[in-house]
Amino acid sequence: MTATYTPAAPIWCSGCGHYGVLGALRGAIADLGIPAHELVTLAGIGCSGTIQNYLGTYGYHALHGRVLPTATGVALANPDLTVIAAGGDGDGYAIGAGHLVHAFRRNASVAYVVMSNETYGLTKGQLSPTRPTEHGRLDAVAMGLAIASTTFVARGYGGWSEQLRRLVRQALEHVRARQGFAFVEVISPCVTYWDTYSHWDQALYDLDADDAYDPSDRAAAFALTQELAAAGRLPAGLVYRAPALVPAELPCPARAAIEPGPLLPAYEAILDEYAAAG
Amino acid sequence: MTPKPLSDLNVMVCGQGGDGSVTLVSLLGDLLRARGFHLFEARDVGSRVKGGSAAACLRASLERRAGLGDRFDLLVAFDGEAVARGGPLLAEHGIVVYDGSDGHPDRTRLPARATVLEVPFGRLAVRDLRRDLFKNGTAFGVVARLVGASDEEAEAALRRQLRRLQPRVVDANVEALRQGFDYAAALGVANGNAPWTLAAGPPRTRVLITGNQAVAFGFLAAGGRFFAGYPITPATEILEWLSKRLPAFGGLAVQAEDELSAINMALGAAMTGTRAMTASSGPGIALMQESISHLGSAEIGLVVVDCQRAGPSTGMPTKPEQSDLDMLAHGASGDFPRIVLVPSDPRDAFELTVLATNLAERYQGPVYVALDQAVAQDSVTVDRFDLEAVTVERGKLLDEAGLHELDEYARYRVTDDGLSPWVPLGLPGGQHLVTGNEHDEWGLVSAAPANRVQQVEKRARKLETVRPDLPRATQLGDPAGRIGLIGFGMETGAMGEAAEHLAATGMTVKQLRPRTLWPVLEDVHEFVASCERTYVVEHNATAQYAHLLASEGIPLDRLVSILRYDGVPFRPQELAARILHCEAEVAAA
Repeated sequence: MTATYTPAAPIWCSGCGHYGVLGALRGAIADLGIPAHELVTLAGIGCSGTIQNYLGTYGYHALHGRVLPTATGVALANPDLTVIAAGGDGDGYAIGAGHLVHAFRRNASVAYVVMSNETYGLTKGQLSPTRPTEHGRLDAVAMGLAIASTTFVARGYGGWSEQLRRLVRQALEHVRARQGFAFVEVISPCVTYWDTYSHWDQALYDLDADDAYDPSDRAAAFALTQELAAAGRLPAGLVYRAPALVPAELPCPARAAIEPGPLLPAYEAILDEYAAAG
Repeated sequence: MTPKPLSDLNVMVCGQGGDGSVTLVSLLGDLLRARGFHLFEARDVGSRVKGGSAAACLRASLERRAGLGDRFDLLVAFDGEAVARGGPLLAEHGIVVYDGSDGHPDRTRLPARATVLEVPFGRLAVRDLRRDLFKNGTAFGVVARLVGASDEEAEAALRRQLRRLQPRVVDANVEALRQGFDYAAALGVANGNAPWTLAAGPPRTRVLITGNQAVAFGFLAAGGRFFAGYPITPATEILEWLSKRLPAFGGLAVQAEDELSAINMALGAAMTGTRAMTASSGPGIALMQESISHLGSAEIGLVVVDCQRAGPSTGMPTKPEQSDLDMLAHGASGDFPRIVLVPSDPRDAFELTVLATNLAERYQGPVYVALDQAVAQDSVTVDRFDLEAVTVERGKLLDEAGLHELDEYARYRVTDDGLSPWVPLGLPGGQHLVTGNEHDEWGLVSAAPANRVQQVEKRARKLETVRPDLPRATQLGDPAGRIGLIGFGMETGAMGEAAEHLAATGMTVKQLRPRTLWPVLEDVHEFVASCERTYVVEHNATAQYAHLLASEGIPLDRLVSILRYDGVPFRPQELAARILHCEAEVAAA
């Protein structure tokens, strides 16, 4: 057996919400019995951008804001892999916001877990796009609902481990069934620079406790986000999941034949197109 | 009049964008290609979809010429603006075919001895064929008569070029062509009574292709199966070509939302063991710089194509320049090895892209293929690519069996040659960590001083390991030549002909066409050392290439820069004159 790297110990502060996310990821992977080599965990820059070091899967540390394009490239090149993108809300909603919109639109099978803590922790407490200010806060869940091709939107909470583990598991099942982009925002408080546990314990609206809630009704889901936002609250749980589709046949470029020998006739035929006439 | 034998013809067709100047050049090119001529086709257009003065140029020659000659023999002008633009570039005894639909051309713009044939193409096409676009067929009829082609071979060329259109459209064009013959006859150019007689060469199996098409093809043939790009002039054709072709080979081309996404998608694909590439032009390559440095640190092999256009900033999108050289050789943060290859024509572009695709995986870092707009977009006849010579070399990429031979697998293992064995994402048992942060051998982030030095030096060693395999320059001319000319890309055609002009004045000259821009190889050092003076011909304002050479120890006082940055390629005589002028100054001093 060839020895590989030993997963590192988290660098996070004691009490950080990210531990809840790490636990949920480990639990969901175990629940589904996914072999480590089939998993690729890509993470952005920031405190959350170290989570790939702790799991024992294939791990990649992206440039700031670029975790979604890289994860998309991995998923498109080899659809047999289970691709997890992770990062903070600064990484995903500020410097990387342009990619998030297109990840929803493109709907490649990537599970994206955003650890939203309303602050830039690693650079010591600057405001991030989810912090409520006089300009309001950026709600990526509502944004995802507004994009036509969106297939999976959820919000979890670092303080509600059981629900969070289930949401991450559902997200992984969604991508493994090749249903597309699975978006999970996790309210993951920063105990050092912006401790919001006591606030969110009260302000989150638990969808699991609402028997009438239908996560297949996109319009109702959006209406609820607006209604709750007006009261300074957010929904937590499976917000929206599109009806299951028969997945399209996807190419697997990573397994495509590349040895030139057998392909020579096909290449020569292309060259002939440029050789016509004389 | 006595017909002039024709073995080297320079033609400009000029009108408003959308007039179909390119179509006429393609028709004439097809006819001449069937006669064994080499072709060089270039467009001179603005950055807009339709309208604006647009020219298509053709050089057809029995001898291989990779650029336009000094003067146009024939100007087909669809309007007065075209006469103003092409007239000053017309040869003394040149011929102008003018669309007289709206009046006569301004003769003061033309050489005194030029012949003018006025044909109201536009009016004829609308009146008789109900469509302005058919004027190209009529114009081709006149032009075919002028160059002394038979009516049959002109019609054959037309039918070949229009073979994908519906029969009734082809028939209408043939009718337009015959109308052109009639018009030529009315103007005194009857069949067999042309001012020129067309030479013929042996039949050839050349291909007519652009640099962009050749790059895309080279990538495909080298096993490239994933491309991500964002539209930008003059690189977009690479995205289009691969979008069309890759699916048939199990591959994929993605149009990303921006260049940042394009390069990061591509490097993501590369980590799965899929040979990957992105392409852009200066502004997009500038956006990609952070990722280039990331490729260097995280050790991910990727081909990055830069189709250079005139900068800075948005610059002149449709005009050629070679002003990204500093960015390619030195851009982005930190110290890391990179390779920059510079093809000079489509065949070279094909071969160097195959090489780049192999090098990227072998040395696990960024490999640029740097074209200029002219090499990227001009169509040139070149010998058929040698597809059987294409090999796929994957370096230290491990499969499952190779992995299991190791006791331990560390992604960034320090080795003597700097190259670490690696596995693609997904290989059972090969789990590892990839990061652009400084890391230890296991890919865990580390700022420990000794480890840092070890990793920086390991990465630097990789370049030395592959240096012997980097493509060497092509040297031409008298090996004992005193005067040297160095240039690559779009310069090589004009440089070759300029050298002939210089040799005709008694100067002993030789030329060097580097194929590796960075690192600077010993071939350039040796060439400069063997010359009394070396002229460095480049399209930028600040002598970027000369300064790259100087930064690598080549004495700047042995180099004389010949620079141009007006967005226009050199013509051979102009270039020769610039060099002769410098030589005269040296002699006077």
